[in-house]
Amino acid sequence: MAFRPFKFFSSLRLTVTLLGFAMVLIFVATITQVELGIHEVQAKFFRSWIAWWDVMPGAKKFFIPIPGGTLLGILLIINLLAAHSARFKLRWNKAGMIVIHSGILLMLLGEIFTGLLGREAQMVVNEGQTLNYSTFPREVELVVIRPDADGLETVTAIPQARLKDGAEFPLGGFTVTIHSYYPNSEILPESEATEKFDKTRATEGLGKGYAVRRKPRETVDDRRDLTTAVVDVIPDGGKSQGRWLLSNAFKGEQFFEAAGRPWKMSIRPRRLYHPFSIKLLDFSHDLYLGTDVPKNFSSKIKILNPGTGENREDLIYMNHPLRYGGLTFYQAGFENNDTTTIFQVVRNPVWSLPYISCAMVGLGLIWVFSQHLIKAIARRNKISPTP
Amino acid sequence: MSILRKTTAWLIPALCLLFIASAVIKATRSSTGLDFKNFGMLPVVSNGRVQPLDSLARNALLSIHGKQGVPGDDAPATPAAWLAELNFNPALADTRKIFPIHHDDLLGLTKLTRDEEKSYSYSQLLPAFPALQPEARRIGATDSKTWSPYENALMLLTRNLTRYNQLKHALALPGQAHLESEFTLFLTEIGAALAESDKQTRGERFNESTMDNASSRVRIVLDWATMTEVYTTPSGNGADGWRKLPDSLTDSVEKGALHPATLAYSRLGDAYRAKDSTAFNSALKVYRAWLLENRPDSLRKSSAETLFNAIAPFYLSMVLYVLAFLCAIFSWLWLEATLRQAAFRVLLIGFTLHTLGLLTRMMLEGRPPVTNLYSSAIFIGWGAIILSSVLELFHRNAIGTAVASVVGFTTLLIAHHLSLSGDTLEMMRAVLDTNFWLATHVVVITLGYASTFLAGTIAIVYLIRRVYGKIPQSTASSLRGMVYGVICFATLASFVGTVLGGIWADQSWGRFWGWDPKENGALLIVIWNAIILHARWGGMVRERGMMVMAVFGNIVTSWSWFGTNMLGIGLHSYGFTDAAFFWLSIFMISQVLVMALGLIRERGPMVPPDPVELPG
Repeated sequence: MAFRPFKFFSSLRLTVTLLGFAMVLIFVATITQVELGIHEVQAKFFRSWIAWWDVMPGAKKFFIPIPGGTLLGILLIINLLAAHSARFKLRWNKAGMIVIHSGILLMLLGEIFTGLLGREAQMVVNEGQTLNYSTFPREVELVVIRPDADGLETVTAIPQARLKDGAEFPLGGFTVTIHSYYPNSEILPESEATEKFDKTRATEGLGKGYAVRRKPRETVDDRRDLTTAVVDVIPDGGKSQGRWLLSNAFKGEQFFEAAGRPWKMSIRPRRLYHPFSIKLLDFSHDLYLGTDVPKNFSSKIKILNPGTGENREDLIYMNHPLRYGGLTFYQAGFENNDTTTIFQVVRNPVWSLPYISCAMVGLGLIWVFSQHLIKAIARRNKISPTP
Repeated sequence: MSILRKTTAWLIPALCLLFIASAVIKATRSSTGLDFKNFGMLPVVSNGRVQPLDSLARNALLSIHGKQGVPGDDAPATPAAWLAELNFNPALADTRKIFPIHHDDLLGLTKLTRDEEKSYSYSQLLPAFPALQPEARRIGATDSKTWSPYENALMLLTRNLTRYNQLKHALALPGQAHLESEFTLFLTEIGAALAESDKQTRGERFNESTMDNASSRVRIVLDWATMTEVYTTPSGNGADGWRKLPDSLTDSVEKGALHPATLAYSRLGDAYRAKDSTAFNSALKVYRAWLLENRPDSLRKSSAETLFNAIAPFYLSMVLYVLAFLCAIFSWLWLEATLRQAAFRVLLIGFTLHTLGLLTRMMLEGRPPVTNLYSSAIFIGWGAIILSSVLELFHRNAIGTAVASVVGFTTLLIAHHLSLSGDTLEMMRAVLDTNFWLATHVVVITLGYASTFLAGTIAIVYLIRRVYGKIPQSTASSLRGMVYGVICFATLASFVGTVLGGIWADQSWGRFWGWDPKENGALLIVIWNAIILHARWGGMVRERGMMVMAVFGNIVTSWSWFGTNMLGIGLHSYGFTDAAFFWLSIFMISQVLVMALGLIRERGPMVPPDPVELPG
């Protein structure tokens, strides 16, 4: 039989097949999450064209390919549009189906755009501290900071994607070169290091006397990579003046002198600066009497915005986020014995799409199914009038 | 219909009402002798909420023993009576065989011999503590997901023994026979010691031994406070203004007089030991009067909850659902109209009890109907019965009644098993503390579960009936109409419910969809229901195929309801129990077998295709 593309792409058989594959994908991804963690699973299964399913439990692995989320999503959208142009002319009595499918399309688009435009970061604030930046917990940056006059600083932030063995970063008068880069590592004092550890040693700074070894990246959800780089500072036209061990395991910066000025550098979670600051006045965490079940968490904060002159208090608690500056701040967690609060900071310009979609599909389904019900009742009354 | 048949159709439901009436009377009857009924109604705070002693006792017994009754000929008749015995006569309570041990290795560790009832008493287990404690410490340090059945059993036993011990110290101090006089003595001695201490501060001569005496007493009371987690004495304001019995004793020193609650419990204990029912009941009456004046809300709620516990409406419903099912089944063989109507009426009576139970729980918790796994089971049954009743009114062939009673009974049975693991009226953790989303997302998605299960159950009726020969046209068309209609509803409810869940997540932590296992499970239900409808509209399946697919919907829904909780990851992880996994697997296998029945073709001439309703 000749392959007729339009008939193929608009057929209900294709819809059912694609939806069936979607179920398989979702189920397999759920099971795999136990081992791989949600971020890895999202990348491998839902944002891929082909997903590889390990069907052998245990140490031996045997993968079979199944359509990935991106492929299925695109084919479903094509199928939807083709089916509508083939079968559903824009008529009133098709309105229900059109509304339902448009709503679903809107939701799919919403998720795609959230993936592209959305951004999630964290703000970890201690009581009494004022913070004007959020951090990305899963990404680091290598920063080289030059203190200037008036207490200001010039910060050169190198994103993680550019950190590699041998990378060079000229900074005006000297170059910071990465001798070795470890996306995830273990750092131990020299005396405890085994043969698995690298022989490279730092000659300056906090890393003196420590050894590093490479580790595979963390996939379990609540564990973070310990990212490390062994860097040399090389003045222009000269030899390395020292080797430092930089890592997000170290709190605080490490100092050095170059080009006749003091500098500091470190590896830290990637920051996103805001034109305003948040000060944590008080974090409270009530438990139900005699239990450790949380009754509420709330953070009393102050918003300081030099641009608009704002200086006001607000309360962020569960199910009650702060929407400010195009961002939304959610009460996400806490630590340090209830003195540190953690906010989830989300930017999602298409946040309203799921709400609209839900309303459209819900109303559409009610409309179409009510029509069915009315017809069914009418048919029944015609066959046997109620006694 | 003849008079006799009409009467029978009303007689059977009338007998059910009598049955219920007798159960209610039995539950509300005052007890002779020691008034354990009112004792059970006394409010305390435990597990973060105000609850009656009756609930405290029942939940403990369910958790420890798996049943609400205590074995033994002379055993306390009610859970409240058992709690009284535990606190006021612990030596006797320790002989009650309420700790089951099924695992042979665990039994070996305790060096006990296999008992007929497989249950052992606290005093039998006491010598095994030196063997149990180091094991518990060792296992407790490891990840609970890796525990073997032996380790699980040991940790469960240890947890129950700890709970038992804590309850023992809730209302009395074991070993103290005359608490009221001890308490009063405590007040005077500490008072005297404080006076001596003032003398010391002022530089006057003071009596050292008075102070030493007092400080050793204080230490006993402070130790006592660490041994219980029950807050018995209302003081101060609000839900947090409750104190443990030993702490309230210490508080009393300042006021110079015992708090009425402290006094009441000490008197109750003394009266119990002296077998003096007059003294016991009068102490109770005095305290109740005080509560009525100072904490009327707590007393009222506790009384309502105790009554609810005693009547146990869900168990009564279960009995009625079985009766309704039997009447419905028999109506297909004999006395069709009579038994069909009787069945439907019995179902409605059961359903009324089910509804009253649900409403009472809502009132006690101050929450929408579904707040945890237990209440989801109750509500799934409730929702399915409503839908089936509508179907029954529409089709009038007892299928709706039969299916309703099966789903109702099964979900209440599941709920009962879920209640064994803890307090079903537990407080909501912070992120769930929002009545709006509990009322919208949770209710709608639970209705989605209920309707998918309902469609699957009707399909099971179809597939099993088919084994016995070709189904008559009218029955087949009615079954087909039911399954199709319910799946349409299921699609609506599961879609809207799932998206509302996403919107809640967006309001809570800024992410509409996180691919959490529970979210994925709900999405699978939506997609499967959509697949059934699209396959039908596309003519890819006919009547029989749709039924087989509807049964698969049961597998998908049970995965989403229970399977996703067992993975140990994600936001809805409640841990893995061997029993739950076992029953889930059995259920899924049974559904596969029913589906296989459906794949057997009929012999005979080809059946003409049935009318397919296309949308729009």
